[in-house]
Amino acid sequence: MNRQLAHLSDEALVALAARSEQTALAELYDRYGRTAYGLALRVLRDPVLAEDAVQEAFLAVWRTASRFMPEKGRASTWILTLVHRRAVDAVRHEQRRRTDSLELAAEPSVEGLEEDAWLRLQRERVQTALRHLPDAQREALELAYYGGFSQSELSERLGQPLGTIKSRMFTGLSRLREELGEPGTEISWTSTT
Amino acid sequence: MDFHDLTAAYALDALAPDEAEAYERHLSQCEECRNELAELGETAAALAFGTVAPAPPPRLRAVILEQAAAERTNVVPFLQRRWVARGMAIAAAAAACIVVGLAVALSQSNHTKSLSVAVGPNRTATIQVSGLSTAPHGKTYEAWIIPAGSTPRPAGLFAGGANSMLHLDGTVPKNAVVAVTLERAGGAKNGPTMAPILSATVS
Repeated sequence: MNRQLAHLSDEALVALAARSEQTALAELYDRYGRTAYGLALRVLRDPVLAEDAVQEAFLAVWRTASRFMPEKGRASTWILTLVHRRAVDAVRHEQRRRTDSLELAAEPSVEGLEEDAWLRLQRERVQTALRHLPDAQREALELAYYGGFSQSELSERLGQPLGTIKSRMFTGLSRLREELGEPGTEISWTSTT
Repeated sequence: MDFHDLTAAYALDALAPDEAEAYERHLSQCEECRNELAELGETAAALAFGTVAPAPPPRLRAVILEQAAAERTNVVPFLQRRWVARGMAIAAAAAACIVVGLAVALSQSNHTKSLSVAVGPNRTATIQVSGLSTAPHGKTYEAWIIPAGSTPRPAGLFAGGANSMLHLDGTVPKNAVVAVTLERAGGAKNGPTMAPILSATVS
């Protein structure tokens, strides 16, 4: 794999992609493709649909790279937001979802999974932070983000007023931000090759 | 509706489409929400790292890069800023036209016409045409999609002018030609009546 761009920041790669530099898109995919696919698979529970969502999201990165504004947020946030939005759009179009129970699909097993150390560390860090939240807040975040349920769907299915769901999401996300925000553990990409 | 308490739900993509649109409209006018969304959006995206990520099939990388390359071959990057800049130059030229008509006429005759085609993954396409004069009264520009070995299909009408963008009707197959002709107002019923003014082959 050609990693000659490995020393560049994500934001610099997006700027290069905006100038039609294809190797920059390849490098962004090498950094975030696996996380993107894991996320899409978690939301969609279907490898084919997950591939579609990741493909559409990275092509959106390619097409709209010139509109990315680094002063407004990280490139990784932007990319993963594009992936998540597409996965959620797709899962909401799935008919079967309407009859699904609220149970989240069990997380795919870690066993036999070849995962690099950095990804494993990030995963453990986010999962630990989630475990520190009160159950109701964690449930709201997980059902919304990994399950793709809208706030109204959650209100209906959990039998809670919409205001309660909104405040669980807000408080949960703010608290998660604090949990994740310890100095020195900021999520950033570093070369692992 | 109080939009401020929708920021977290928006960051989690947990709004219905109409709610999300309303929130986005609000966002353009509310700096407080923009700042809050920047923070909560980053935290929401961190959740992406919280799930086990099996490796995607290797073909996915190849498919994405291939599609990206195919799209960009025929595409002049649609840089917003450049568009604005060019629009202003043209407005300035039009103003100057009143004063020094001759100079502007010369520069217009030097102006090159161009057609670029951006094809999406579902083969729908948008064309960008520049350098065409506005269609005379009673006439219109018409875009055509000509699949390889087939007859032209009408793909939309536009008025011309310095810069035009048009989303084409129908899809553009591989190796099709996209062409532009000048036709009678309302468009040509039975295919183009002239040789294309501009054309491009789509890969």
